[in-house]
Amino acid sequence: MAKISFDLVSPENLIFNDEVGMIIVPGKDGDFGVLPGHSKVMSSLRPGRVMVYGEDKNLLKAFFVSGGFAEVNPEKCIVLAESVDEINTLEKSSIEKEVEELKDQETDAAKEQLSIAKAKIEALDSSFYEKI
Amino acid sequence: MPSLKDIKTQINSVGSTKKITSAMKMVAASKLRRSQEKAEAARPYSSRLEEMLASLASSASSGEGIIKLLTGTGNDQNYIVVPVSADRGLCGGFNSSINRETFKLVKSLEGDGKNVQIMPVGKKSRDFFNRVMKDQITESFVDLNISNTGYESALQVSNKLQELYFEGKFDKCILIFNKFKSAISQEVTQQQLIPLDVSDSSKEENVDDSAVKAIYDYEPDEETILKDLLPKNVSIQIFKVLLESDAGEHGARMAAMDNATRNAGEMIDSLTLKYNRTRQAFITKELIEIISGAESI
Repeated sequence: MAKISFDLVSPENLIFNDEVGMIIVPGKDGDFGVLPGHSKVMSSLRPGRVMVYGEDKNLLKAFFVSGGFAEVNPEKCIVLAESVDEINTLEKSSIEKEVEELKDQETDAAKEQLSIAKAKIEALDSSFYEKI
Repeated sequence: MPSLKDIKTQINSVGSTKKITSAMKMVAASKLRRSQEKAEAARPYSSRLEEMLASLASSASSGEGIIKLLTGTGNDQNYIVVPVSADRGLCGGFNSSINRETFKLVKSLEGDGKNVQIMPVGKKSRDFFNRVMKDQITESFVDLNISNTGYESALQVSNKLQELYFEGKFDKCILIFNKFKSAISQEVTQQQLIPLDVSDSSKEENVDDSAVKAIYDYEPDEETILKDLLPKNVSIQIFKVLLESDAGEHGARMAAMDNATRNAGEMIDSLTLKYNRTRQAFITKELIEIISGAESI
């Protein structure tokens, strides 16, 4: 089966760069899957999970991104994310604490943080796409 | 003529200076390697972002809201100049060349009748402009410590700039920083940050640009992506500049300390020569005294 090259880039470094079978990306208007030969798309992302699969659709890695952009062409998929965490490094308790702290703040920055933190919890609880 | 003891003390003190400068050189060299790696790690992101922007830039038409970061306010009366220096000295001409260049730019803009504000980043330029142009400083950022805090500190600067921009405080923003060319050379560079200058990168690609645009699907649509992309681009540009400047600082310090160490070595050599000569002169003098004393008996 064909492979597609996938780059996950954060401002600080190149986090993932390999040939994979499929990627699911949290587009602003909804998640979309990228297979080799995908048509050219440029999309902005919402906070959510980027799932990376091997050739036989086994889950290789799951990341949480706090937003960013994806550029897709038939050979390559590039995700530019502002901050990236591998899902299994996230700790639910500490994020819940963060949510509690941010809840009552009125500033835009805090609201944005809050929505990211909420998305993180959602991402942790969700088991969508784990098996395909 | 200085006594033997004086020369000896001098040799010792130059020797300890030499030890310090060579230690600083080693420290700078290892820090340089680290910050160079960081600067390189940041490169894929910023180059990707620039590519995306270049292909989107042509679709921006109206000058409203966030798009203003690309199209400008339509004025060029108010400028903000951001000199990026180091927080510490002892790195040769690194800081002073930034300050000199900024000073020149501010003066020439003022000569053209523009209003200029300054937003220094780094202690050394803040202190300098606090002395010479205190009223024009709007805000300053020191101790950003970019190699440890990373992207967060670049966001601080970028958020402040965008806040001022959308309040209409300035029309154009120019960064002045040391571009990292190699470990031993930095180049003072000016970069227009706002409105974004895409002309040089997109001109050559203009031909295939339209082709790219025709093929890509945009989700949700071009304008929304552009609105997300532009503020990020400002932050990432600042981040890149801060990293380059950080690497440049260590490079400059390494070169400066290398020079200082070499000079100290030369000084010790010449002082040792002087010490030996003086010692020999004393011995000769004593011998003459003894011989002439013996002869007179």
